[in-house]
Amino acid sequence: MKKTVPILALMIAAAATGPAPPLSAQAPAPALTGRLTLSGAWAIYPMALKWAEEFQKLHPGVRIDVQAGGAGKGIADVLAGAVDIGMVSREVNPVETARGAVAVPVAKDAVVPTLSRRNPFLPDVLRRGLRKEDFAAIWVTGAAQSWERLLGREGKTSVRVYTRSDACGAAETWAAFLGKRQEDLNGVGVYGDPGLAEAVRRDPLGIGFNNVNFAYDAKTKRPVEGLEICPIDLDGNGRLDPAESVYATRDDLIKAIAANVYPSPPARELYFVLRGKPQGRLLLEFMTWVLAAGQKEVPDMGYLPLGPERVAQGLAAIGAADGKK
Amino acid sequence: MRRLLKDALARRGMSLLAVLPGLLVLLVILGLFLKSRAILGVEPLSRLLFGDSWHPLRGEFGLFPFISGTVWVTVTALVLAVPVSILAAIYLSEFAPRFVRESARPIVDLLAGLPSVVFGVWGVILVVPFVGGVLAPLFGVSSSGYSVLAGGIVLAIMIFPTIIHISLEVFASIPLSLREASLALGATRWETARHVVLRKGSQGILAASVLGFSRAFGETMAVLMVAGNVPAVPKSLFDPGYPLPALIANNYGEMMSIPRYDSALMLAAFVLLAVVLFFNILARRILVRVERRSR
Repeated sequence: MKKTVPILALMIAAAATGPAPPLSAQAPAPALTGRLTLSGAWAIYPMALKWAEEFQKLHPGVRIDVQAGGAGKGIADVLAGAVDIGMVSREVNPVETARGAVAVPVAKDAVVPTLSRRNPFLPDVLRRGLRKEDFAAIWVTGAAQSWERLLGREGKTSVRVYTRSDACGAAETWAAFLGKRQEDLNGVGVYGDPGLAEAVRRDPLGIGFNNVNFAYDAKTKRPVEGLEICPIDLDGNGRLDPAESVYATRDDLIKAIAANVYPSPPARELYFVLRGKPQGRLLLEFMTWVLAAGQKEVPDMGYLPLGPERVAQGLAAIGAADGKK
Repeated sequence: MRRLLKDALARRGMSLLAVLPGLLVLLVILGLFLKSRAILGVEPLSRLLFGDSWHPLRGEFGLFPFISGTVWVTVTALVLAVPVSILAAIYLSEFAPRFVRESARPIVDLLAGLPSVVFGVWGVILVVPFVGGVLAPLFGVSSSGYSVLAGGIVLAIMIFPTIIHISLEVFASIPLSLREASLALGATRWETARHVVLRKGSQGILAASVLGFSRAFGETMAVLMVAGNVPAVPKSLFDPGYPLPALIANNYGEMMSIPRYDSALMLAAFVLLAVVLFFNILARRILVRVERRSR
């Protein structure tokens, strides 16, 4: 799960792009060298890989290793000093802040409910959408006994509910949408974002949730083959209005998140968590770059860039605001 | 003189190194115990072990769903694995031609060395759909396939090699003369296997099964990927279960953010270690007795 760009490729890239453009005003800074490690949320993993790749192109002497394992692992690792940056896809709670966690927002995305494309009730679900109460009945109270019942009919086709088994941001955010925490979500626990997508894809009666970038295919920008996004009936009027159908492509959904049509949560900010303010120059430069130049990589990867005021807050959090701006 | 000194030095040095692994086990036990004291101090042990509500945020740390999940999965695995392994071992030791036996052993050992995550992935791809799509409808139940049974099947395959390997050793320790005597009396090979080899090796088979049990009880990754991870006591083979090792692996990340959570997980690890240690010692004692008798 680690990605290391071979040294040869680095050298070629360096030769092609020429010397790295200086990031700061302090002109003759020596070239950056060293190694950074990241671990945590599946949601940020693709984005972090991209950032790592671009940053390594700019600074051939730098090596960045990225590992995915859930937000919980990210925060535990960074607080234990095992990695430099923890990728966390949920709010950082006060206990973690008290232990020295500094959360810097880096991008936005969302969690979406998912169905199998082979679901026998698919046309109805897509036409009506499910209301927030329906989701609560599925995941929290367990009152959703059948698919027919969810669609306002009589019948006994059971709903197979899936959730994540690892401590993660997706489940925490989805639970937050329903006013709960991850431990309150019912359902079969599957490990990891890809695992959950696969389980739902294969089970015609299943329902689950995924981070945007695991529900949509990065190339086609449509939902992953065999998977369908379960639309949310936001105003609860029993049908999916045109304004509510924002799921056809990843770009549509990202637009809906930006316009606050898709609610937050399940839309949420993604964080890089540090232990205290960044100490080394490399870590500081990387964080600053992610918040500045790195933001322009964000839309292509299927995330939403931060607004300028959040960027400023982020820079202030790592103590880079005064020197750089 | 110098040679003697060297000898003494080597002996001392190596005995020290030999003690180290044993001390490590004690250190692990001590560490887990000290860490789990924080929760043992506030909650009675019986509530922790037999409470069936797991809601760390509300301060409820009932480990019973996980303990029962572990037992369900392990017992299922043993029921599936023990008969098959023993019959396989009998065939290999009593009936199989020499070259089959010689070539089967490395394959069995290779199976034992496969990383458990490989078994897990394989379980997700094959066993889970098989249980959900074929077995469950056969019994008229609706199941996603992520179940105690799927966990049991994957585990059974993982412990085959352990049981087969040890059973083969046990059968090999039975003197050939016993078999010859039986055959000379006109018994068939099957009768010899049943009445002489199995009877003589029964304790060794028990030990092999117990060692298989220990392996199954502590297995994490493969089971975590197929067992469903629902913190409720399973009521049937097709219900999802949540074994102890999976609990620790899944929630290690939340340890930092919820009070006493780390302590509860340490207690879970302590329980796991205690059970595995107990059964390992039991198996060793049986095996030692078998060996002594065969001499």
